Amino acid sequence: MALFEIKDLKFVYPGAENPALDGIDVTVEEGEFILVCGRSGCGKTTLLRQLKTVLAPHGERSGEILFSGEPLEGITERRQASEIGYVLQNPNNQIVTDKVWHELAFGLENLGYVPEVIRLRVAEMASFFGIQNWFHKKVEELSGGQKQLLNLASVMAMQPKVLILDEPTAQLDPIAAGEFLDTVRKINRELGTTVIMTEHRLEEVFPLADKVLILEAGRQTYYDTPRRAGKFLAGKELAAALPSAVQIYEQTGGFGECPLTVCEGRSWLSDHFGHCAKEINDTKEPEAGKDVSHRERPGEKETVLEAREIWFRYERELPDVIRDLSLEVKKGEFLCILGGNGTGKSTALSLLAGIRKPWRGRMLLEGKDVRKRKALRSEGPKTVMLPQDPRHLFVRDTVREDLMEMFDGGILSGKGEQRDRVEEMVEIMEIGHLISMHPYDLSGGEQQRAALAKVLLKEPEILLLDEPTKGLDGFYKQKLAETFKLLKERETAIVMVSHDIEFCAAYADRCALFFDGSIVSCGPAEQFFVGNSFYTTAANRMARHLFPSAITVKDVVESCRSNRIQE
Amino acid sequence: MEGTGWTRSGREDAFSSLHPLVSFVYFVLITGCSVFVMHPVFLGISCAGGLGYAAVLRGRKGLFSSLWLMVGVFLVSAALNPLFNHQGVTILFYMSTGNPFTLESVIYGLASGAMLVSVLNWFRCYQDVMTSDKFIYLFGKILPAMSLILSMSLRFVSRYKEEIQRISRAQRCIGRDVADGSAGERAKHGMKILSVMTTWALENSVETADSMRGRGYGLRGRTNYSLYRFDGRSKRAFCFIGLTGMVVILSVVFGAVKALYFPALQIAPVSAWSVCACAAYGGLSFFPLVMNILEEIRWRYLRSRI
Repeated sequence: MALFEIKDLKFVYPGAENPALDGIDVTVEEGEFILVCGRSGCGKTTLLRQLKTVLAPHGERSGEILFSGEPLEGITERRQASEIGYVLQNPNNQIVTDKVWHELAFGLENLGYVPEVIRLRVAEMASFFGIQNWFHKKVEELSGGQKQLLNLASVMAMQPKVLILDEPTAQLDPIAAGEFLDTVRKINRELGTTVIMTEHRLEEVFPLADKVLILEAGRQTYYDTPRRAGKFLAGKELAAALPSAVQIYEQTGGFGECPLTVCEGRSWLSDHFGHCAKEINDTKEPEAGKDVSHRERPGEKETVLEAREIWFRYERELPDVIRDLSLEVKKGEFLCILGGNGTGKSTALSLLAGIRKPWRGRMLLEGKDVRKRKALRSEGPKTVMLPQDPRHLFVRDTVREDLMEMFDGGILSGKGEQRDRVEEMVEIMEIGHLISMHPYDLSGGEQQRAALAKVLLKEPEILLLDEPTKGLDGFYKQKLAETFKLLKERETAIVMVSHDIEFCAAYADRCALFFDGSIVSCGPAEQFFVGNSFYTTAANRMARHLFPSAITVKDVVESCRSNRIQE
Repeated sequence: MEGTGWTRSGREDAFSSLHPLVSFVYFVLITGCSVFVMHPVFLGISCAGGLGYAAVLRGRKGLFSSLWLMVGVFLVSAALNPLFNHQGVTILFYMSTGNPFTLESVIYGLASGAMLVSVLNWFRCYQDVMTSDKFIYLFGKILPAMSLILSMSLRFVSRYKEEIQRISRAQRCIGRDVADGSAGERAKHGMKILSVMTTWALENSVETADSMRGRGYGLRGRTNYSLYRFDGRSKRAFCFIGLTGMVVILSVVFGAVKALYFPALQIAPVSAWSVCACAAYGGLSFFPLVMNILEEIRWRYLRSRI
């Protein structure tokens, strides 16, 4: 029997003209892994929330949802609480208590189990998830990935039949996200729990799914296996989010079986393009002919910001976080700093922003020492930083007021002038339709654009960003890249700390790898990635045995095409 | 590690692994006696017991770092009391203000100094042993709803602290910080950070509420789970503490360890009962210390047999 049967579901938010969901007809069998994808705001979360009565938003609903053959509304809250597990996006907000063990027991306490049962269930879950080492810890001491695993474990302790996950890895770094997804897969395969999940980053989830449900503006447009869904999405806007293997497969004509993972993609490429690539590599130097790139050559530009052998630690007794870091930022370049968690990337960024001061070494703005500048009161190039959570910048009730607030320090005196500047910025950032909304009512991507507009009103010469692509879907990443291009034309230097290798590979001028408090390698993006074997794009990992210098999906596709022509 | 048998500073401690009720009753008894019984022998015992246990919990370094504070408290109390307290019959001399300087007030100053030092030490031990989850557990027994509220508030306090720091850093990135500008501007920036904080907290609490309801919060018949078990060791310890405590309380009530400082020093005569009371109090005060020493001996013995 099917676990969930959704029949012709339609949902309209109160006061809205268009339905948020329309014509959803889905059957989820027990033990299946269902992936729901679509652009931000297409109704993914609304759909998932319909599947648990206490979380369903208010509004008008028609159609039917059956859970194990019974109408969902008819199932008691107690049974729903235990059998339908729901994990939300933000790891921090879901944790209720202050201790790991208490959090694991929270749901079971609510269901009224006796301590002996709770003891057993908690022990089981802690062992299954490998939590026993941090079982007694305070929640605040955990990393983001551990917190999200704890949320998952505390839901699993109630032994749900189905696990609903709403973008659970959006706030995690790639390593933690990978670990989380591995655990979800383990739950699905080993415990037979049904999984229904939404996700932006499809690279890793797509191959795990049994079926993919595609939503467009609240309508169900496709529901089938990932391989077929990949074919369906080819050429559409969502295609950019698909795994590199699927994208390359579709864009090169789609011979044979569609590959889903890097590994499958490698052998698929070898099968179809192996012979011709070999000839190319024999006749041509692999690095030659690679300078057709669209990227800036930063060598000739002047330096705006320089860190010279700086060292930093948070407290006297603590070890150094930044050691012997030297870095030059050129005018109008886009520099990406990649690296694992806890290597000091974000600290380095706050040093560049001047929020923290190094205890050894020098910081130079346009060749002049920052300390000397301060003494002489000579203004250097303006530096601003966009924080990781854009909401930290919003202080007013509407986006417009918030942008106007930026002039409160008195950069521009005339009210009219201020208004003109805001209007101009609103136009550039394309946030005209959001201008009278409360900043907190915007979606994640919109919030970020509004926050970016706010910091850009300062007309910075150096823009620093801390993981700006975190939690953004393909559409907003694209928009962000366009904004960066515009800023580069205005000679603004952009320094970005990121985990998003694909984004950096596609748009950065230079990339640097951060490790152990310092930069271990730095170079033009294409050379940087060609030299790495792990810290590189999926497309490069997939195609490097044939086309070593192809980094992005576009590069690989072009290489394939040109080879076919020669053939 | 903040498990059951470990203290806040990460040292292993036998007394900390007892059931929270035992520890709590013990600390109530011992601090109560330290404050209310001014008999010199009692004061000495309590002082030594507290100091010894604090040394076990915080280590030699922790003890020395606060030793000066304790010596200071003791000396200040001993020195100040005769300057302001002029009761007592044995006048040593008259001060320039014309007030008498009495022997009794000097002795009382020394006694209250010792009392302060011992209470200070017992409070330090309490802090280390009674961690937040033990406290929450105990109060959850009395008021079940209370334990969740306490646990949630502890979580929120630490989250808000962290978040305020993040917001202030973010505002600093665009030149808005409490440390920037004139006093008026600074106050304004501070208010802004608080207002961001409030919006942020309200916004996020919606998701927390969802997560709670999603996991069945609000259903009838909620139970309370805890990691603690009233094991045999705790029972035996509880009996010992109860017994010695009873002897001490009875002897206090019947005046066997009575001590009066004013107008003249009057200490209850030594009797079988007062000796018993002192022995019981000694047992009580040194109980955590002795527990640790016995455990250490057992380890040595076990190791020597390997």
